[in-house]
This record gives sequence, structure tokens and C-alpha cells, in this order.
Amino acid sequence: MNPSLAIFLVSTLVIAATFLWVARSTSEPGAIDYARANRLRGVFGVSLGVILAIFLVLTLPRLPYPVEAAAPAHVVNVVGKQYAFSVSESPGPQSLATWEAEFSPVVEVLQGALVEFRVRTLDVNHGLGIYTPQGALLAQTQAMPGYVNRLRVQFDQPARIPRCVWNSVACRTTRCVP
Amino acid sequence: MTALANPPTATPDAYARQMTRLTLVWVAVGLVLFPILALLGLVMRTLQAGYFRATPPEWFDAVMTLHGLGMVGVWFVAGLAALSFVLSAYVRPSLTVSKLALAMTALGVILLLVATLVGRLGVGWYFLHPLPFHSTDTWPAWATGALFGALAILGVGWTLWAADILRAIAARYRLSEALGWSYLSGRTDVEAPPVVVIAWVSCIGVLAGLVAAVVILLLVAIEVIGGTAPSDALLIKNLTFYFGHMLVNITMYFGVGLVYEIMPAYTGRPWKINALVVISWNTVLALVMFAYFHHLYMDFAQPRWLQVVGQVSSYLISVPAAVVTIFSALVLVYHSQERWSLAPTLLYLGVMGWAIGGVGAMIDSTITVNQQFHNTLWVPAHFHTYYLMGVVLMILGAVYHLATALTSERRELSAARRLAVAVLRLRSGDGAGSALLGHVPPDRARHDCDGIHAGHVQPWPSVGPACRRVMVSGRPEVSVHSVRALAS
Ligand code: HEM
Ligand SMILES: [Cu+2]
Ligand SMILES: [Cu+2]
Repeated sequence: MNPSLAIFLVSTLVIAATFLWVARSTSEPGAIDYARANRLRGVFGVSLGVILAIFLVLTLPRLPYPVEAAAPAHVVNVVGKQYAFSVSESPGPQSLATWEAEFSPVVEVLQGALVEFRVRTLDVNHGLGIYTPQGALLAQTQAMPGYVNRLRVQFDQPARIPRCVWNSVACRTTRCVP
Repeated sequence: MTALANPPTATPDAYARQMTRLTLVWVAVGLVLFPILALLGLVMRTLQAGYFRATPPEWFDAVMTLHGLGMVGVWFVAGLAALSFVLSAYVRPSLTVSKLALAMTALGVILLLVATLVGRLGVGWYFLHPLPFHSTDTWPAWATGALFGALAILGVGWTLWAADILRAIAARYRLSEALGWSYLSGRTDVEAPPVVVIAWVSCIGVLAGLVAAVVILLLVAIEVIGGTAPSDALLIKNLTFYFGHMLVNITMYFGVGLVYEIMPAYTGRPWKINALVVISWNTVLALVMFAYFHHLYMDFAQPRWLQVVGQVSSYLISVPAAVVTIFSALVLVYHSQERWSLAPTLLYLGVMGWAIGGVGAMIDSTITVNQQFHNTLWVPAHFHTYYLMGVVLMILGAVYHLATALTSERRELSAARRLAVAVLRLRSGDGAGSALLGHVPPDRARHDCDGIHAGHVQPWPSVGPACRRVMVSGRPEVSVHSVRALAS
């Protein structure tokens, strides 16, 4: 199971069980020991803090944003418009007027290579997703007017379909050759 | 100030009556729109499940746009209306401004309905610039005009409304009191109840969010009318999600404010202001404005450190919510005399849904996770949990709690009789105790009610929110402002 989903389901069970337990306690009304409650609150707060700190330490060093140092072996230029993505090693379409002439539906990349996708758009914002042939999302970024978003992906497995996530749009393929 | 708040001729009693009537109208608007918008949600799920394949795809987008903007709007106004009513036990929000906001909301809703259902405008709630101007002939230009018109009208109306709540609070409490700082510095003579502190924090947040919306509208207007170069897309996206994030989170806080104010009536225990409450809500105010960066994780052009700020703030903001509010709600209920009639059950479940949806939100606010989850169903799944199973239940619970008081208002009874009727009706809802209640003499009740919010003068009669267990349980520490009003 996806670890995020597992964490979510376990947390949900714990929360629901706690709320149920507290709700059931009202069948025996009585006074409450506020000092004890606040000690428990302290323990809860510290535990939550520790859990959050652990997750921050584990996840923050693994940001998907490229750092300058490692120059990519492969650069793929992605240009989006409503409703297609052009993918190529050449710069790709520079305007909507020249789209048909400069459009490239497929690009091949080497398996195992680190690929940098330089993602632009000619009209509106688009979401770019790279999927496995089975349809699982490998990586994604946004295409934003006036910006180049650089997404780096290591292809350990074949990949296809840069897909625009907004709308069910026509998709073209990135083929990954072994 | 006072002139704005109310015509000087309005007697306190008339104010209470009008406030009640106006709240009823707001609630009615919400209760009518909610099922319609929920039905649209069902339509979307049906389309996603592959039924009605002949439907043109732009219908999904148009329906989703209406559903998203509509739902967020409905619960925002329902929450603020319920909060205003509850607040009117302490301060005096203007009825005129609320009516103006109501009229502007109606106008905005009509424009949205036309833009989406007639014009098939399908830009999503975030109408992310420049999409509204790139319809590829799916919707006409006038639909885009109607959308921006609606946003402008709603933005101005709600800004005025939130600003008026701040004005009303400021008329009674100093800034340091409204934020609870005076409490921290040991001055406990004038203490604002939690709901006032939460309302203050929330309305500041509303204004901050709506200012961002106004800036977007101005940038777009300059671009369209002035024919200048396109506005910076990253800036507009930041402003857009700041606005959306603030509005949705603040609606959540409206619900939480209602829980703070109403839950104690059912558990027979006070939920007073204390240092923790003050610190937690001030922390929330500081953090909520930075957490919005979690909406731009997949915009790699955004400065990296802002992405980190987004994750850290999103994580930290769970601490005041969980350790203070949610934990305190549990302590409030634990071994209490809670009887689980409809209102407290909804409030309690709302807190639970908020906690569960919040976990989903926190997971999604982890950048490495968001790389997988952004733009997937995880996003609507988690916010529907904390909305539908959270704030919606809180507001419905609050509305149900207030409903009897609200409807009995119509009978034009005296304040005292009205309250008695409301209380009796509510009590009879959960069984025992109503007979006893009927025998509580007004001044005994007033005496009993002096505890929890001691120091508050109740300047006009209103059917306040929190007044029942008091007499039933004979627990003098639980207060009810309205009870004091009864004898005044
Ligand atoms: C009552 C039952 C509800 C159903 C069946 C429902 C269903 C849906 C569905 C199917 C979507 C589209 C998700 C997607 O494919 O991306 C959606 C989006 C959304 N819903 Fe709901 N929903 C419900 C209640 C609510 C409530 C209570 C709220 C908020 C108060 C809400 C706010 C939203 C928002 C903001 C969106 C996103 C719209 C956009 O992306 O432009 N929904 N809902
Ligand atoms: Cu697209
Ligand atoms: Cu957010």
C-alpha cells in the first residue's frame, strides 16, 4: 500500500477510536482532573512535535526541485498549448502560429539517464504529468506562461504520456528506450 | 460608528429581532443552495463513472466551477452569519451591512449561475489567469465578464461584512483584548470570550484573502482595459491561491468558533479563554498566511525557500489545532453530562472530521508527497473530508442549536418568554429536564449564569447561544448571556 495512504488510514482509525472512546465516557458523568488532562496534553503536544520534526527531516532533503550542480545528460523541451504537448530535444514550437511546423509528438530518452524536462506553455497554465504505461504518475510539474519549469526525472522504467492534468486532453508520448 | 451599526431609533429588542430574522434568511439561503450544489457533485461523480457519455466534456468543467465556488461561498456566508448571531451576544454587528452583503451575495450567485449554466464557463474555482481569456470558444467572453463581475461583487460585499464584524468587536474590545494579549499580560478584568478572539482572527484573515482577490481583479482589469503586457502568471497564481486558501481555512475557523461557543452548553463545562487559547489562535493567524504556499509546490519557478516555508507552516499549524482546540474539545466532553442530541453530535462529529481531513491535508502538504498527489483525487478527497464532514457539520449543528431560538423569535414574544420557549423546545428535544427548566425563576437563572464570562455586560436582549444545561444541571459555572438579558 502507498505509505501515505497507510499513514492516513491508521491516523483515521486512531482519531475515530479516540472520539468514540471519549463520546462513550459520557455515559458515566463525573468530574475531570484538569491537571492530569493538561499533562496528557503536554505529552500529546510533544509527541506531535517529534513526529512532525521526524517527517520534516525525512522529507525536506528530498525536494523535487533541481539544484544547479548536476548538469543533466538529457534535456527535453516541453511546450504546452490547448490541447497538446510538444516534446523534443530541439527547442520546440516558439509560438502558436508556428505550432504545426515545429510540433513534435514523441521524444526518446535513454533508460537510466537523468532527464531534464524544460516545461513552457504558449497560452495558459497546464499540468504536466509523466506516467508509466500502466498509468501510474511518475512525476509532474506545471507549465506556466512566462516561466520555464525544470523537472528532472530518472527513468528506471519505461515511461509515456506527458499528460495534461487539466481536462481530459489529447496526449502525446514520451517513449523511453532501454 | 454607532450610526452605521444601527439607526439610533432601533431599540435593543428590535435589534435582536432583526438580527434573528436576518440570520434566518442567511441560513435559509445556505440550506436551499447546499442540496442543489451537492447534487451537482453527484452529477460530476456520475460523469466520472462513465455514464452519460454523450455529455460534452465542457459541462463537467462548468458544473465543477459552479459547485466549487458555490459550496465554498455558501458555507462561508452561512458560517459568518451564524458567527455574527452568536457574536451579537457580546458586540453589535451592523444589520445594514449584513443586508448589503446578502443582496450582493444574491447578485453574485445569479451571475455565477448564468456564467456557468448558460455560458458554460469552465475555469474551475481558481479561474487561473489567463485561462478565463482562453476559452477556445467553449464559453463566450460575456461569461468571463460575468465571472469577474461576480467575484468583484462578492469580494466587496464580504469585505464590508467582515470589516463590520471587526468594527463591532473594536467598538467593545481593545485590540489587545480582541487578540487576547491583555489576558497574557495578566489583565483579566476585561476578557474577550474565545469566540470573539476567533472571530477577530478570522475576519482579519478574510480581509487579507479578499485584498488578494481585489489585487487579482485590478491586475486583470489593467491588462484587459489598458492592453498592457500580461500580468506575471506566478504572481497571479500566488494571489489566487492565497485568496482561496484563506477563505477556505477561515470558513473552517468560523465553524470552530461556533463549537467553542456552543459545545459548553451541552457538556456543562465552560470553555473559557486561557493562555493556551490565546497563544494558539495568535499562532494560527501568523501561520495560516504562510501555509498557502502548499498550493504552489508543483510550480518549480517559485523560489525554493518559499516551498519550504509552505511545508513547515502547514505542519506547524496542525499543532494549535490538534493540541489546543481538538484536545480541548475532547476534554470538554470526556465524562461530561453530554447527552448527544442532534446539535452537539453534529458539532462533535465536525471536530472529528476536521481532524481526519486535516491529516489528509498534512500528508498532501509534504512536498515529496505532493509530487505524487498534486492534481489527483487525493486533493478533493481531503478537503471534502474536512469540509463536508467537518465545517459543514459544525455549522449545521450550530444552526440547529440556534434554530429554535431563531424561529421562536417570529412569535414576537417578549425576550423572556421567547427565551423560555426556545429553551424548553430545545430541552424537550433531548428528553428530561424540560419540566425543571420551566421552573427556574429568571433572577435565579441570571445569578447562575454569571460565571463563565464574568465581566461581560449584556447591553441588549438577544437569544444567545449557550444557555441550557445551566439550570438543568445546576452547574453555576456555565453561563448564558441571554439569560442575563432576560432579566434586564
Ligand atoms: C455533498 C456532496 C458533495 C459531492 C458529491 C461533491 C463532489 C465533488 C466532485 C466530484 C468534485 C470534482 C473533483 C475532481 O474530479 O477534481 C468536487 C470538487 C469540489 N468540491 Fe465538492 N462535493 C460535495 C460537497 C462539497 C462541499 C461541502 C464543498 C465545500 C464546502 C465542496 C467543494 C468543492 C470544491 C472547492 C471543489 C473543487 C472545484 C474546482 O476544482 O474548481 N464540495 N466536488
Ligand atoms: Cu493543459
Ligand atoms: Cu491551503
